[in-house]
Amino acid sequence: MSAPASSRHWRDPGPTALAVSAVLAVVVLFVMVYPAVYVLIGSFRPGGGLLSATGTFTFRNYVRIFQSGFGRFIVNSLVICVAATLASTVLSIMAAYAFSRFDFRFKRALFTGILFGQVFPWIVLINPLFVAFATMHLINSYIGMILTYTAFTVPFSVYMLVGYLVTVPKSLDEAAIIDGASRWQVIWYIICPVMLPGFVATATYAFLLCWTEYLFALAFLTQTDLKTLPLGLYQFFGEDNVDWGAVMAASVVTTLPVFLLFLPIQGRISPGRIAGAVK
Amino acid sequence: MLKSLAAALVVSAAMLGSIRAAAADPVTITFRFNDTEQEVRGAIDEFQKENPDIKVDLQRIGWKDARNQFLREAAVGQGPDVQHSAQVWVTEMGDAGALLPLDNFLKKDPPSNGFADFVAQDLAKGKDGHVYGLPWTTDTWAMVYRTDLLKQAGIDKLPQSWDDLRADSAAVYKKTGKAGFGFPAGSSASGAIWFLANFYWWSHGKALIVQKADGSYALGVTVDDVADAMKYFKQYMDGGDNPQSNLAASDAHDPSIMQALVTGNQAMGAMPPNTYKEIIKAYEDANPGKPVPFVSAPFPHPDDTKSSMFGGRMLVINANTKHPEQAWKFVKFMASEQVFAKYYRTQFPAQNSLLKKIDFGAPLKGFAEQFEYARTWGPYASGPVPIGTMWNLTDRAFGTALSGQSKPEEAAKGLLQEIEKQMAAKG
Amino acid sequence: MRDRLFITTMLLPTVVLLLLFYGYPIFDNLKISFTDLSLLGMKRGGNWVGLANYRELFRSGDLGHILFNTFIWLTATSVILRLLIGLGIALLLNTRAMKLLRLAAVSRFALLIPWATPPIVAVVIWRFLLERNGAVNEALIKLGVVDHPIAFLADMRTVWPSLVAIMLWNTVPLIALSLLSSLQTVPDEYYEAAELDGATNWQKFRFVTLPFLMPAMLVLGLMSVFWSFNNFVYVWLATGAGPGTYTNVLATEVYLKAFIDFRLGYSSAIGMVMAVIMGAFGILYLRLVARQQLEETL
Repeated sequence: MSAPASSRHWRDPGPTALAVSAVLAVVVLFVMVYPAVYVLIGSFRPGGGLLSATGTFTFRNYVRIFQSGFGRFIVNSLVICVAATLASTVLSIMAAYAFSRFDFRFKRALFTGILFGQVFPWIVLINPLFVAFATMHLINSYIGMILTYTAFTVPFSVYMLVGYLVTVPKSLDEAAIIDGASRWQVIWYIICPVMLPGFVATATYAFLLCWTEYLFALAFLTQTDLKTLPLGLYQFFGEDNVDWGAVMAASVVTTLPVFLLFLPIQGRISPGRIAGAVK
Repeated sequence: MLKSLAAALVVSAAMLGSIRAAAADPVTITFRFNDTEQEVRGAIDEFQKENPDIKVDLQRIGWKDARNQFLREAAVGQGPDVQHSAQVWVTEMGDAGALLPLDNFLKKDPPSNGFADFVAQDLAKGKDGHVYGLPWTTDTWAMVYRTDLLKQAGIDKLPQSWDDLRADSAAVYKKTGKAGFGFPAGSSASGAIWFLANFYWWSHGKALIVQKADGSYALGVTVDDVADAMKYFKQYMDGGDNPQSNLAASDAHDPSIMQALVTGNQAMGAMPPNTYKEIIKAYEDANPGKPVPFVSAPFPHPDDTKSSMFGGRMLVINANTKHPEQAWKFVKFMASEQVFAKYYRTQFPAQNSLLKKIDFGAPLKGFAEQFEYARTWGPYASGPVPIGTMWNLTDRAFGTALSGQSKPEEAAKGLLQEIEKQMAAKG
Repeated sequence: MRDRLFITTMLLPTVVLLLLFYGYPIFDNLKISFTDLSLLGMKRGGNWVGLANYRELFRSGDLGHILFNTFIWLTATSVILRLLIGLGIALLLNTRAMKLLRLAAVSRFALLIPWATPPIVAVVIWRFLLERNGAVNEALIKLGVVDHPIAFLADMRTVWPSLVAIMLWNTVPLIALSLLSSLQTVPDEYYEAAELDGATNWQKFRFVTLPFLMPAMLVLGLMSVFWSFNNFVYVWLATGAGPGTYTNVLATEVYLKAFIDFRLGYSSAIGMVMAVIMGAFGILYLRLVARQQLEETL
């Protein structure tokens, strides 16, 4: 893992600073991870270890969730979330670039207007959206879900990317244009490398929002073979009892692919390129 | 050459096969079930074997979302053919035009024991008098006791009255330091305190909603009745024998309550049979070979009044279905004796004749006894205010009273005023 | 001219998508808010009732309490803490000490855990940790902070702080990792230049780091306000808006009215009011707070 670039330009910390940082980091790590460890341990116990402390080690929770279709749900979630993340990121880069580099009519209105949908509580939009989806035949389809998630993640991503882009000097683009590069080349060869951490951050946001979203998936996906992971997880919450072991195993299984996906991506954020680009 | 000929043969054979399959293409009906798949998988497989021309596509959804989803689908001409429904939803959904009337099917092709054999028939009808649901399963709530803790507290007889229950719960807390009657006192919209409040009223010969002789609906409790119930349950919180933290627990199956019963930190609870079975299972898992220290018993029912509800589920057919005949065939099959005898063992059948044949077994004896002292929601479901609204309001009112935010009298007055207001608005 | 075509190409897909997904449903929702539409009457449609739903909402006795909860606890407290803690973690992870201790990378992955946890699971875990016999009470008793377990989600003194804590656990990583990305885009040259001028660590933070962080902070702040204000999941799952209606907020009220009382018309009206409040906030925020950082460059 490469360290953030700026860290090279701070004075080396003294022993006190080191100790304080270490303590803080351990506290943060503990609070973030402890609840998850609790779930991990519970996922190997009957009843998730919730109903009695003296549980034996078991794989049954995992067997049960895969018997009830989790393999399929992982695939569905991956297809929908990866597609929506890609679509959302590409659209946002395009829109953010236009907003941050050009002046045009209605720019402010458009920029503010993008927030339009974000000011509504999504639960009131569920019924109108459902009716609209039904007429467009988008219920129980990958496309419908991908479009939904794209539409719901684009506003934040555009704003976030504009926020990053305004810190990148316009002179960079202009120099390249003078050298004969097209706008697309500028985006691809100059902006993208500089903005990589920003893209990764917004893509992570888009992906995880889709990955954990429940309300829309519930309303728009009723066929078992199309369901996503959060729906799969909810099925263990019954009326008279909850299968806690399965809930915990499902939660672990829901978290794992995120790691497998983001470990390599996070590793690629190389800050060295940024320095080169600005010169 | 030979190879490609063979390939062509295979392809054409496959095409012929698919054409034949298309000719006898089975009708597919969708069944949306709100509990776990394994409970009904066997029955569905058996149905498909007996009816090769009908394929059943099982969809799953949770109880909390089932009705909303079905209603919005039904409104736009979609949704499953057969839906699993709570008894108390059927009247409302029938009135909403979401369900297919079953009267003709019941006349032409009735279930084997006749419709008269089914419990909760009043709840199966819409306000227009049509039958919209076939009662499928039934259950009730009962009290569950941890006998070893009762013994430690010097209690050798299960409480028979609400006062006994209160005294015994306090005694357990005082003598053992463990929780007595640890009921979920949370205020969420589907909280369990609604059940306890109603059981308390019913066993005192009252009910929140009653239907008068002229068919109109009215409140069947006074402010004092409601405040009395609040004060009764508040004693448990104030005495400490129901821990304060249970004000944040709304379900009978809240893990902290189940854990307390399993590990012996709590002596008494109130719950449906499936929660109880889960507790017994967790105890056996943790203490292999030890005898189970639980018994079940009915809620106090002085003067043979009712003290719990005939709850349960029905099967309903979507008004939008394209295959009503097949859907009915499936519904009828699912309610047949063989399904309950062989496949669907986690619920009790909603037919009196079948219910009588069931051996509940020693641990569930209390639930079997409770059935004698159970009633349906009746006027609650057919009355003008949605039952969910009254349920929510009652839980909120009890929540404010039990947590000490307002005096029981005030909370009770507010509750009844709100329900009356809504009754007036809906006529 | 070429620029105009380029701009249109860049913006059109997003505009069309957003109009398609928000335009019609929002228009529909506005219409519904003037009717008495019931969830049970979706097939028949509702009757026009004019402003009756809005009148009822503004006259309801609970409104003040619900607004207080929504503004003060659900939104202000949670957003401010989220930004501060998120910023703190991002700065911590970006320090030289973290690198020397080899904790920077580990922590970044650790932050993904709460973020990838669906809210339902987050609430379930924390409800259990905050239980009477849960880990938090156990730790507090062992440390001698309290001698009786605290009923975190039932006691009126602790229920809101507990709810906010649950929200923070689930949402701080988004802020922290986004800000960390911002920190990573600060060009080395800027620090080098500052060093040549003999800047202290504080000065480097104040004049180099912070300007780079501000746009992201402002965007995260705005979006966090929207998300928190409109969020019903944490309150609904953790306390059910109780005890009584003690933790009720606008978003849970919408849910209660729509899906418990079946009053889609009334809940749509609440939704419209919420949207207007947030819309006004968004515009003011962009004009007053974020203007210099975002709009001026626009």
